[in-house]
Amino acid sequence: MSKAWKPRIVAFFCNWCTYTAADLAGVSRMKYAANTRVIRLMCSGRVDPQFILDALSKGADGVLIGGCHPGDCHYVEGNYKMLRRFQMLKRMLKDLGIEEERLRLEWISAAEGEKVKRVINEMVAQVEKLGPLGIPAKFQEWDKEMEHFAAQVAANEAASGSACAEHGQTAAQANKMEAAHA
Amino acid sequence: MATRLTSCGELAAYRKTVAAKRDPNRTCVTVCGGTGCRACQGLDVAAAFRQAFQEHALEGKVDLRVTGCLGFCEHGPVVTLRPKGLIYVKVTAADAKEIVEKTLLKGEEMERLFIKDPQTKKRLRTREEIPFYKHQMPVIFGANFDLDPQSIDDYLYVGGYTALVKALTTMTPELVIDEVTKSGLRGRGGAGFPTGTKWASCRKVESNGKYIVCNADEGDPGAYANRSLMEGNPHSVLEGMIIASYAIGAHEGFIYVRAEYPLAVELLAKAIEDARALGLLGKNILGTGHSFDLEINRGGGAFVCGESTALMASIEGRAGEPRAKHIHMVERGLWDRPTVLNNVETWSNIPLIVNRGSQWFTAIGTGDVSKTPWGGSKGTKIFSLVGKVNNTGLVEVPMGATLRQIIYDIGGGIKGGKKFKGVQTGGPSGGILGVQHLDLPIDYDQLVEVGSMMGSGGMIVMDEDTCMVDFARYFLAFLEDESCGKCTPCREGVVQMRQLLEQIGAGKATMAHLDLLQDLAEVVRDASLCQLGVTAPNPVLTTLAYFREEYEAHIRNGKCPAGVCKALVSYLIDAEKCNGCTMCARNCPSGAIEGDKKQPHKIVLEKCSKCGICYEVCKFHAVARN
Amino acid sequence: MVKLVINGKEITTEKENTVLEVARAAGIDIPTLCSHESLPPYGSCRFCIVEVNQRGRTRMQTSCTLPVAEGMEIKTHSERVMKIRRILVELMLARCPESEVLRNMAREIGVPHCRFERVRGDKSLCHTCQACTLVEQMPMHAPAEVPSTFVGRSGCILCGMCVRLCDDVMKIGALGFEGRGMRRRVTTPFREPSEFCITCGACTSICPTGAIELLRVRPQEPLPIPSEFELGLANRKPIHLPFPQAVPRVPVIDPATCVNFMTGGCKVCEDNCQVQAIDHTQQDRIQEVDVGTVIVATGFKTFDPKRTPYYGYGVFPNVYTALEVERLVNASGPTGGEVTLRDGRAPKSIGIIHCVGSRDNKTNRWCSRVCCMYSLKLAHLLKEHTEAELYNFYIDMRTPGKSYDEFYGKLLEERVHFIRGRVGEVTDWAMTPEEEGKLVIRVEDTLAGFVRRIPVDMVVLSTGLEPQADAQEVRRLFNMSCGSEGFFLERHPKLAPVNTFTDGVFLAGACQGPRDIPDTVAQAGAAAAEAMVLIDKGYVEQEPNTAYILEQECSGCKSCIPLCPYTAIAFDEAKQKAVINEALCKGCGTCVASCPSGSIAQRLFEDDEVFSEIKGVLAYE
Repeated sequence: MSKAWKPRIVAFFCNWCTYTAADLAGVSRMKYAANTRVIRLMCSGRVDPQFILDALSKGADGVLIGGCHPGDCHYVEGNYKMLRRFQMLKRMLKDLGIEEERLRLEWISAAEGEKVKRVINEMVAQVEKLGPLGIPAKFQEWDKEMEHFAAQVAANEAASGSACAEHGQTAAQANKMEAAHA
Repeated sequence: MATRLTSCGELAAYRKTVAAKRDPNRTCVTVCGGTGCRACQGLDVAAAFRQAFQEHALEGKVDLRVTGCLGFCEHGPVVTLRPKGLIYVKVTAADAKEIVEKTLLKGEEMERLFIKDPQTKKRLRTREEIPFYKHQMPVIFGANFDLDPQSIDDYLYVGGYTALVKALTTMTPELVIDEVTKSGLRGRGGAGFPTGTKWASCRKVESNGKYIVCNADEGDPGAYANRSLMEGNPHSVLEGMIIASYAIGAHEGFIYVRAEYPLAVELLAKAIEDARALGLLGKNILGTGHSFDLEINRGGGAFVCGESTALMASIEGRAGEPRAKHIHMVERGLWDRPTVLNNVETWSNIPLIVNRGSQWFTAIGTGDVSKTPWGGSKGTKIFSLVGKVNNTGLVEVPMGATLRQIIYDIGGGIKGGKKFKGVQTGGPSGGILGVQHLDLPIDYDQLVEVGSMMGSGGMIVMDEDTCMVDFARYFLAFLEDESCGKCTPCREGVVQMRQLLEQIGAGKATMAHLDLLQDLAEVVRDASLCQLGVTAPNPVLTTLAYFREEYEAHIRNGKCPAGVCKALVSYLIDAEKCNGCTMCARNCPSGAIEGDKKQPHKIVLEKCSKCGICYEVCKFHAVARN
Repeated sequence: MVKLVINGKEITTEKENTVLEVARAAGIDIPTLCSHESLPPYGSCRFCIVEVNQRGRTRMQTSCTLPVAEGMEIKTHSERVMKIRRILVELMLARCPESEVLRNMAREIGVPHCRFERVRGDKSLCHTCQACTLVEQMPMHAPAEVPSTFVGRSGCILCGMCVRLCDDVMKIGALGFEGRGMRRRVTTPFREPSEFCITCGACTSICPTGAIELLRVRPQEPLPIPSEFELGLANRKPIHLPFPQAVPRVPVIDPATCVNFMTGGCKVCEDNCQVQAIDHTQQDRIQEVDVGTVIVATGFKTFDPKRTPYYGYGVFPNVYTALEVERLVNASGPTGGEVTLRDGRAPKSIGIIHCVGSRDNKTNRWCSRVCCMYSLKLAHLLKEHTEAELYNFYIDMRTPGKSYDEFYGKLLEERVHFIRGRVGEVTDWAMTPEEEGKLVIRVEDTLAGFVRRIPVDMVVLSTGLEPQADAQEVRRLFNMSCGSEGFFLERHPKLAPVNTFTDGVFLAGACQGPRDIPDTVAQAGAAAAEAMVLIDKGYVEQEPNTAYILEQECSGCKSCIPLCPYTAIAFDEAKQKAVINEALCKGCGTCVASCPSGSIAQRLFEDDEVFSEIKGVLAYE
């Protein structure tokens, strides 16, 4: 099989505080887990929930969002808006069956290189314990299932020769249409 | 009691009802209730009379009136009988019973109770006969004979408050002031400032309130004329103040009485209460629209509070300290408002001037006040004649009377037939005048010219046994105690003068001390802040001027001619003249005389306290004084 | 205006003046004891008496209370006046023979000696009220113990200035006169310690003879007001010049201690100001100024050596901070340049400890940069001022800069001792007789290789530099960040040392990090230049990562409009669409993320770009 699984964490850092702190950590030669892949945004308020969902669906095992401390946002209030969305997203992810520890929001100021190191290390350890999320693999599985199901339906129809009364299509045609819009 | 009168008409009607109840021909016994006679058990005499009346069922038929001071203080308690006008002196409670039985019931005059003329030895019966009263002009004080000070009805009966009605109804305020100015009345407190001028200045000032104040802080030792006026005729003071309030436009007044006059305070308070009850004080007096009310302030025991600015400070509740007077009190006085301050006696003069007119007033006294009231001294003055005279008491004489008239004609001459030496006028701040001044007419300006002052009318007579150095020292000791201490010359200078005088009296001074004393006295006079200090050196300056030989005797010869200064006096018994009667030895308080009966006695000098009693009692003139 | 004649000279003046004021203004010296320009005239000492001739009348009046009047003729030194003054001086000398004030006056007036004797009393009249013992002038009987609350003791010339000052000016009235005549004295009510006295000391300062003991008025030590500039080594008054180089160089009034704010009285300063420059009713004003650029230069604070208690600051009296010693050696300082120990002795040996609160894991980790140089400077100055043995205890000698190291060399020649080692402790516990009464510095001399005990008289702590106590508040105000030490964070340590992350806000000086004066000045110039560039340019360069609306997509729901902290989004009523003002947009992207229909996009940070990035970062294991 593949070599030992290592967690992959996508980090959305705001430019002014967290990204600078990460810079500082680097400049200070701090050593921390290498599993985070940092994406720089101007403000944590730019973080669209879609990004997080996208990251998770593309194979991230965890998402870390870093912003300025409340009251210190370079753009005044962006981090508060992020916080609002974050609270809602967390509940949603829970309903989806994704563990809480996989999504984390941290306030890190430009001087807190040490905190960057600590947070990343902590999160990596936690996610490691949880194991891989593996959503792409699941999508593939579900796709295969759907294909299999679609093939079965087509076979059944071919056997009975009926088209859909309402839509005037065969199951095979419906399937094709669906596949085209996926 | 009486209901409040709301118009002058009602007052006139009330006066009539009072008069209707009185019979001027009814017999009346008056007992002097002034402080002096009270001290001689005068009230017991009155009580004895009351009891005797009861016993003889004379109530309702004979009146008993306790009056204020009648002035004949040496001979109190004084009792007068009306309408005959008999005057009994030195009456005791026992005498009272006898008087009722003999004089009232039987018409017998009691010779032994009449005063005896020291020269003619005749018994004198009435005021017309008694020289003490004959030579006076008691236009103010005379009223005391007819008044019970606690009865406002008495005052109304003798015409009290008619001047008030006259002023309120027939005179404008300006006219009142004009009349007072034309009369030439000058302040009887001592400075002699023309009263009318003072009132006119005050009236001119615009203000949201003015005050009328009566200075009844009579602090001079030996002066009690103001006291007797307040105790005898308090309403005259009130009437004068109400008239002034109308003239000036004031609605509040204060009477500042020294706390040492509790009887005066009591009687004034009663008078104020009675006047208020009748509507003569308070709002809308007699319906004329003028309002005025009074309050009594008691002094706290400081001579300096007789000084006008210190008095005002005291009323305001501050310490009684004078202030510089370049801002006059008529412009800014009590609480910075225009204030008229006058003496008790000045106030008593006002109703008379209003009633009888300024011309009547100017007819009495000296000088010419037609152009300015400063031109003379008009009206009468009440003097407290005390000291070594036969008739000590209160005398009222026209301004211009001479010292000789007062001391000899009225005062009856020097006690014990001794020689007149000097008289101090004007209290402790007054100067001491000598024999050469006996014919000096008494008025404000003449007295100041010779270095003395009128003051509040104290007159202390001295004989040959008074040492001038000691006398000056005595008054300086008084002033030392009373100095407020604010300014350097008075506070330090008076004490130093006293010390120098003590040194002289102790025989320890040199002529240089005399020069120093003169310089110091002049400086204290020139540099002091208020009149207490300015006049404090008067005793020193006048005695140095008129009795210098006495000072020099103390210094050069080490002798006190009057035999008072103990350090310079010694007593010796002349063995030739002494017959051993032991009179001196028995009276000696120090037990300093030795000697057996019928043997010449000897004074032990170490024990001798120099009191001089042996000298007084020895009938054989065996005790010699050096 | 009023015309009068003084000593034959015609003078014209305002009519509110007193004769004394006019005479003094004309250069005529009239002696006074009870007069003072801050007090209303009293007229009690009588020394200022003059001869006044008005309308034909001559009288003697005190010039301090006499208002001028037209046509007055004044003689201030006539024979009569001089006689009065001579006797007055003699009278006062009899009361207070030792008084300097009176003796001087006697000399001026021409009084050789006092002919009066001290006042004696009459024993037989004594009623033991003890008033005399309080005045100490009249020993009438064996003086009993002087009550502790009596104020004006012997030497009091009864001028009354203290009473009038306390009552009329300060409006407190803790002092007053008691008694009449010779028994007059200054005291507190009922001779009891006053609970109203605020120990302002006005009475003691105005008393011409020093007869007032403040402790007798109020038996508690007055709290001195330590001078902030002199670091508590000297005291100041409520009104004071903050420091000699203050700009503007005008005094300020401290409302916490000024008597006027406490009682409504005093205002002596206001009354005496010749140009009426003082206004006690001044209020704080908040002024709003619109600016385009801000330079933050809020400075630093020194390390508080109480955080290193093993150096004994605040425990041993002769441990000073370097800043305190700066004041000591300064000629305009509290000791006028005399370097002395707290008890006044000159120190014979001084130890200067470097790196107090710097380079220290326990307190501050950074090097404060300036301390080595100023410690060397102090060593040099102290050597000059005191001839003492100087010891400097250092870890490294940091003397970069022009002539700095040369200066260090000079000190080595001056025989200053340099010991390399961080001082462990300062103690007063003596182990040998030489150490008695001294402060012992325990240090490991790393060059020599053993621990040494060096006894010195005085220890100087070279305290480091720290951020200001309110640095966090200030940085939030300007939307700045701080570094880990707490100094303000620059945008880039090499490429933008005077800029902050916020456009238009610049940094200068030690608020950004410890630095000395030449560096501060250079940095300030740089910040000013940056600011001026911004102002001069006439336009602002903006980052291009602004947001924009996709008009066709916009549904007009208005949910983006309240979100923008810069109010860059407006609603076009006509089109019923949102509109973004690009000049205002700072490019945070919050609106982009919030739009429900996805109709706002951000340049440089398009959704598609981010999705690509996500895809990219997850493309490998």
